[in-house]
Amino acid sequence: MGLSSRWDAGRLPDVIGLLARLILGVVLIWAGAAKVTRPALSALAVRAYKILPYDFAGYVGYALPVVEILVGLLLVIGLFTRLSAVLGGLLMLAFIIGISWAWAHGYSIDCGCFGGGGTIAASQTQYPLEILRDVGIAACAAWLVVRPRTPYSLDIRLFG
Amino acid sequence: MRPDASRKIATVTPKSGPNVVVLGAVIAAALVVAVVVAIVIGNNSKSGSSTASGNAVPVGVVGGTGGGILVNPATNKSNAPTLDVYADFQCPVCARFEKQFGPALTAMAKAGEIKYVVHMMSFLDTNLGNDSSARATNAAACAADAGKFPEYHSAVFAAQPANEGDGYTDARLTEIANSAGITGASLTTWQKCTSSGQHAQYVTDVATTSGKAGVTGTPTVKLNGQDITKTLSTPDALVAQVKAATK
Repeated sequence: MGLSSRWDAGRLPDVIGLLARLILGVVLIWAGAAKVTRPALSALAVRAYKILPYDFAGYVGYALPVVEILVGLLLVIGLFTRLSAVLGGLLMLAFIIGISWAWAHGYSIDCGCFGGGGTIAASQTQYPLEILRDVGIAACAAWLVVRPRTPYSLDIRLFG
Repeated sequence: MRPDASRKIATVTPKSGPNVVVLGAVIAAALVVAVVVAIVIGNNSKSGSSTASGNAVPVGVVGGTGGGILVNPATNKSNAPTLDVYADFQCPVCARFEKQFGPALTAMAKAGEIKYVVHMMSFLDTNLGNDSSARATNAAACAADAGKFPEYHSAVFAAQPANEGDGYTDARLTEIANSAGITGASLTTWQKCTSSGQHAQYVTDVATTSGKAGVTGTPTVKLNGQDITKTLSTPDALVAQVKAATK
């Protein structure tokens, strides 16, 4: 079949691209799924950053999990990879800015990345780790923006 | 083995597959619809209280329908600074705060040295997945109607379950009413007030108003509007801070 003929295991960039796509996609789906069933908590988590106005922060909290899941799905199936990676990368950038903001302002919050969120004890904050993780995921997005062509993707199957 | 050339050519040649623009438009539309649906569902789910939606504002509320309850309307002196405490009945740190600073606050309130305003938050219901903060807040608002707010408020914190999330049963809230000195006809009124969720709207309003005022964690303590939570050390230091803020 067409797919197997395109897949050449000897090519490292293909392997990296596939991994980047799957990591970014799965993380986004996981993060979205953890929040989507509890919209009120998600809104609370966004409000805890004290960046956006109260009502708007609520809307972001309700919408974010859905966006994460859909962008994650597009990445996993490899459809519109470059655009999805741009969106995923922008999300990560926003998260990194948000977490840095909370850290800089001395707020003690859970990032709310995978559910949860809101104020926690100062000793429980994990800002450096959370930022490092998001930087790593953003790197996956950056790779895909530069080189969106990955094996086992619908992009290749549909559009060649 | 090399892939044979005809396949390679086939993949390079444009296919008559799905139209990129149409497919993109469909996915974009699905995204928009999903976001709108999520926001509508979220907005409908935001009211934390599951009890009936009574909209009575309890006795003692200051600063609008979502304001806190002024604990000492009779005693506070005109030059006394306002001390706002935002706390959630299910928050363990709030219970510790209440234990440590509660007596000093009560003493200053009785002496009229502060305008002591208590804002009862209920966002932990969202975190913990129960409705105990909202019901306890409604119960305390009902106690305010009975003129027993400070007693009830302290008694709830004293009765906070050791395990965060266990919450308060209705029976427990009634026991607390007894220990706060709500008896006889007052108790009957209080029970009607709690079982009908008479202050359910107030519970939601306090949460919203406090959230809009930037209170996202509890306990939060404000002295004349300024957040002093991080500077809290000992009750004596708090008393000194209050003195310094008295004009």
